[in-house]
Amino acid sequence: MKRFTVGVLLVFLLCFGFVALGNAQETKIKAGFIYVGPIGDFGWSYAHDQARRIVDDTYPWLETVYVEAVPEGEVEGVIDRLINQEGVDIVVTTSFGFMDGTLSAAQRYPDKIFFHCSGFKRAPNMATYMADFHQVYYLNGVIAGALTKTGKLGYVGAFPIPELKRHINAFALGARRVNPNAQVLVRWLQTSWYDPAGAKEAAESLIAEGVDVLAFTEDSPTVVQVAAEHGLPSFGHYSPMYKFAPNFVASGQLVHWEAIYFDFFAKVYAGLYTPKNLENVDYWWLLREGAVELGADFGMPINPVFEDQLKSTMVNDPIYGEISVYDLVFALLKAMADPEYAFSPFTGPIRDRKGNLRVPEGVRLTMDELITMEWAAEGVVGAWPGEPE
Amino acid sequence: MSTIGFWISGVVGRTLAYSVPLLLSTLGEIYAERSGILNLGVEGLMSLGAFSAFATAFFSGNPWLGVVVSGVVAGCASLVHAFCSVTLRTNQVVSGLALGMLGMGISGVLGRDFEGKVLATTLPVFRLPFLSALPGFEKHNVFVYVSLGLAVILWFVLFHTRWGIVIRSVGENPAACDAMGINVTLVRYSCVFFGGVLAGLSGAYLSLGYRPSWSYGMTAGMGWLAIALTIFAFWNPLWGMVGAYLFGVLYHFSFRFQARVSPELLNTLPYLFPLVALSFVSRLAARRRVGPPASLGVPYQRGSS
Repeated sequence: MKRFTVGVLLVFLLCFGFVALGNAQETKIKAGFIYVGPIGDFGWSYAHDQARRIVDDTYPWLETVYVEAVPEGEVEGVIDRLINQEGVDIVVTTSFGFMDGTLSAAQRYPDKIFFHCSGFKRAPNMATYMADFHQVYYLNGVIAGALTKTGKLGYVGAFPIPELKRHINAFALGARRVNPNAQVLVRWLQTSWYDPAGAKEAAESLIAEGVDVLAFTEDSPTVVQVAAEHGLPSFGHYSPMYKFAPNFVASGQLVHWEAIYFDFFAKVYAGLYTPKNLENVDYWWLLREGAVELGADFGMPINPVFEDQLKSTMVNDPIYGEISVYDLVFALLKAMADPEYAFSPFTGPIRDRKGNLRVPEGVRLTMDELITMEWAAEGVVGAWPGEPE
Repeated sequence: MSTIGFWISGVVGRTLAYSVPLLLSTLGEIYAERSGILNLGVEGLMSLGAFSAFATAFFSGNPWLGVVVSGVVAGCASLVHAFCSVTLRTNQVVSGLALGMLGMGISGVLGRDFEGKVLATTLPVFRLPFLSALPGFEKHNVFVYVSLGLAVILWFVLFHTRWGIVIRSVGENPAACDAMGINVTLVRYSCVFFGGVLAGLSGAYLSLGYRPSWSYGMTAGMGWLAIALTIFAFWNPLWGMVGAYLFGVLYHFSFRFQARVSPELLNTLPYLFPLVALSFVSRLAARRRVGPPASLGVPYQRGSS
């Protein structure tokens, strides 16, 4: 009898277990991605879509859909459609300008999860994330400072928002670490994140002013192509732009959004993240977390074409002493990828270009200070809308 | 070269290079509208041209073949509009807009796999004898010279040849032309086709020369600007050239002066200035009775008027 009971219990447990297992296998999560640009921009939206494909292929329980080229004011309607017609559980919005629309949708759909990129507003069912490039731009600046002959570096920026100001400042600080008189000439597009014609003319006007190295924030490889036409080195942005000008893309900023997506979706799937506990979930991932990478192409931190020049350029660094720029880049890269954040580009003393002390000696800017940065670093030249007194 | 010379050559050079697609598609639209057909699909035709040129050059390795194909493809696509507005006599605004959206959509879908691809050979730059001595004309894509020359030629054809008289008359009074034995349908079809070809070529310039690459939306509203410039130019190719270069030079200045003048103000200039100029010129035009072709946008039906 006892045996029988145990047997029945076992069968019961097994059945129950299978049902539970079966249920687990059937649980699927559907995520909808909303992009501000076309996925073929070979920049921001392209990088997000590459990451979406990787997580979709890796997680069998994850299904994804996407909508591209969504104007920032129309995001709410697209969210409604994704939830009501596509039946998604998670909405991922990937532009700063989607922030308020996403927040308002999050309030209307309290049982859905929202994941917004590069913003600062959160809700119990809305988390935020960003893979930030300021460390990588600093390293690009170090390289650029060593490559320039005129001492003038050019930067084409889409919009004067804190993210770009932070990146331009990091670029200028890096350049002036090895080339104390280097200047960064800035041109703003203020039209769209994707504006190849504007980027082309902005880059041409910078070159006409004597700039001989170019970096940019715009979602196409245009600046890289313009620089190459003039035989000038440049830095790729968001995607591996090495192939557009193999002899001229010195390095660049690369992103691994999938690092963040893997983590977030897995935690939603495991039930760690629910529509009730995301108020304080904010990914701010950098080199250390593997969310960003220095390079002209994946696995190519510095284009071999520029290796000799950088190895033979010696500088007297305040921390590392007499060192080649090539070695300095890798030393700094190692320090920034360190689990302890051994080095931050925004460590004082740093003055803005008006002479105000922005970061006191020995102090390191916090994340909040970084994401609200409005001042312009020394060496930055050009219009700077919103510059504090 | 002196600093001033260097500066001038930079401004002129960038203006010439940037304005090409505006100028070409404006010239095409002027001809279409002169014959009485309003074509609002320029943006889509440019996009089709840009894509077909890129795809052809990508597979064949020959950018010139891409140029030819872009003209043929966009020209044939514009015949859809000609068929609707001339033969079927539909509303030209609707048919043109539909063609534009169709062009954007088709090039976007077919072009998906070409985005982010690199061309092995792009359109070369040339130095022309004599011309290259002028500041800003040092070396350019062949399209720069062709569009400049075409503006003059098309002006001459439109105002000083029999063909020009025929085209303008068809746009003013198709019934009278018909009575005189002119084939109104043929003239209108040809002009729309020609406009389509030029829109396609301006797309090819974008994807093979100006910025060798293909991506959806790369025409960035230039086709719409061309329609505005057509009106600004009072349907005159030479004024079209002035308008396109004026827009180009202001566009260049919006980046060139950014370090000294507020970028927000500068960004409005390329749009603001033609607007102001237009309001002045239109008063002049009213006095001299220059206006849109009388039958612009009106379908012609024999015996109805």
